[in-house]
Amino acid sequence: MATPLQNIETFIPDLRDVPLDQLAKYGTSPLAHSITLYRERLKKNGMPLNNFNARIRKLG
Amino acid sequence: MNRAAALKTHRLPETAFIALATGRKDSDAIRLLREAQQSKHTMLLHAIAEAAGDADPANPAIAAFRAGYELLTRVQVTKPAAWTWLLSLPHLGGWANDGLIRLDQGMSPDFAYLACAAASGAVRGSVPFELDVPIHDGHVLLPGLGRIAVSRETSASGEPAWIRLSCDGSQLAAGDRVVLPRATLMPDYGLAKPGPPWHGTPAARVIADGLSWDVLLATDDSYLDRYKLPMAVGLDADQLERWRKRVRSAFEVLVSQHRWAADPIADGVAVIVPLAPNSETDLITATSPAAFGAIATSWPPDPVTLAETFVHEFQHIKLCGLLDLVSLTESGEESVYAPWRHDPRPASGLLQGVYAHLGIVRFWAAQRHAESRPDDILRAEVQFARWRPTITTAVDTLRRTGCLTPEGERFTELMRAEGQRFADEPVPDEALKIAREVSLDHWLNWQIQHMAADAAATASLADAYRAGEPCPGYDPSGIRIRKDVLDIGPNARSRLLNMKYLEPARYRELIGDGTFPLTKPDRLLLNQATEAAARGYRDLIGESADPQPEAWVGLALALYQLPASPLADAFASRLPVLFAVHGCLGAGYDPLDLAGWFG
Repeated sequence: MATPLQNIETFIPDLRDVPLDQLAKYGTSPLAHSITLYRERLKKNGMPLNNFNARIRKLG
Repeated sequence: MNRAAALKTHRLPETAFIALATGRKDSDAIRLLREAQQSKHTMLLHAIAEAAGDADPANPAIAAFRAGYELLTRVQVTKPAAWTWLLSLPHLGGWANDGLIRLDQGMSPDFAYLACAAASGAVRGSVPFELDVPIHDGHVLLPGLGRIAVSRETSASGEPAWIRLSCDGSQLAAGDRVVLPRATLMPDYGLAKPGPPWHGTPAARVIADGLSWDVLLATDDSYLDRYKLPMAVGLDADQLERWRKRVRSAFEVLVSQHRWAADPIADGVAVIVPLAPNSETDLITATSPAAFGAIATSWPPDPVTLAETFVHEFQHIKLCGLLDLVSLTESGEESVYAPWRHDPRPASGLLQGVYAHLGIVRFWAAQRHAESRPDDILRAEVQFARWRPTITTAVDTLRRTGCLTPEGERFTELMRAEGQRFADEPVPDEALKIAREVSLDHWLNWQIQHMAADAAATASLADAYRAGEPCPGYDPSGIRIRKDVLDIGPNARSRLLNMKYLEPARYRELIGDGTFPLTKPDRLLLNQATEAAARGYRDLIGESADPQPEAWVGLALALYQLPASPLADAFASRLPVLFAVHGCLGAGYDPLDLAGWFG
């Protein structure tokens, strides 16, 4: 049986209350780190520009 | 100023994690996912802004981006609701995602789109502005709202033409000729006769039992055009009204029978993308991790099917949102069987599928009690019976791959427990029989197409059989899963088996008139003449010089229908090896004798 988890720290920085014109100040901070992480995950997952999870059911 | 310490990441409470895994009381968890998507879009916007900062400011697209960014900054501060609305649009997610990918591929993002998006947010929030936006095909796009017809002119150089948008908060002017009241710049709910120059994005506003859902039927934004099939562009007013009615009916199904799903879907799905199928009889549905909140589907044949599609695809949306926050799988080489797919899937794909089917099982568990017509009851019962056992088996497969992270282990355990809640619910015998037959047919066809027995071991077994020696046994670990073992294409018998419960009336018609192209044994099998069908398949395999994969599957299905026997078990569990060894032997060898030799 898998162990119950505590609150999970996620990959995404909480930017809800950060003014857009202040984002640049986070340039070398966890924001840049998070963008790098996201980029790596996109590459690792081989995310295509289009399509995902298509379900096709042929009838008739 | 060092702000690094002040920047926190989104946190996912254990309660939200459990709610997402089980699908129970997950409204708060979905709100967390939506908030995280807003942060994600902001983060990606920032990455694109950094690229724009390094670009030539004289470039019109860069200038438009910067003006759009500045406008968005004002919208964010002065009209936060409009900012949140814009950041939540799957259009923006698609654009930001594709922009980042383009940057990583050394290409330029579509910078100018941000000016259109910012204008849309400002219009929504009544924020005054002036900025230049690109014209595409004679229209200015306001994502999430609609398009303004401005001109069919393009610049002589072939570059996008530009036009100035000016908004004083109550009116929007596009160039010198077009002036529109801001209040009219809204999606087209089919309530007023639309007309140029404003083309509101088609939308449906549906209310059932006090629950309302406002959803776009969008095909006007290229960043929603991200599915395998093209969008169904150019729907006329009658077609749009049909879509609105179908969405309304499906939502009523959800609200009346599946309130657990209706609330979060109304909250989390902002866009339906109608797709143009290759054939009118195909149902194609899809989601994209880049477009949180959008569901794509071709025309659904009935409201219940569309309701199920909403449940199915919303599961994918939720899981994609969760996977943006935390990894549940690690990359691995192994591909495995997924009971709902014709191709081998990586662990991450199987996880998506089992999560979607957990929602599907719950949907049909309730829907089968809501149907009244016999054919509809049969469909619902078989759907429930077919997918119910797959949750446990697929979770077992996932765990066996070793690709799950600790969070993935926990998530799948919760899914398994949720699936087992339905394990003891009674299902009518006929529905169970059909469900098991269709499931077995799928598994057998998949094995024939994607499981390759070791060539040397196969040849050795064939030599032993030919020499009359006892079976030396075989090592199942020598079997490899590959995408391209055998391409046997569409299978008429399998389609009919599925039609038996998906479209029972059509099935009876096709079986009754005898015109559907089937082999003689297939026709015998479908008409319950099982022993004769088994003899037919056996003769076909034994007498043919060519491999007969469909006949092998047919023979396995026939044996499954006959009283239990070791032969039936041998076919169900060793079909790829039997098929491969018989292929080495060639014509003139009895497949049943070979199966018996394996013991």
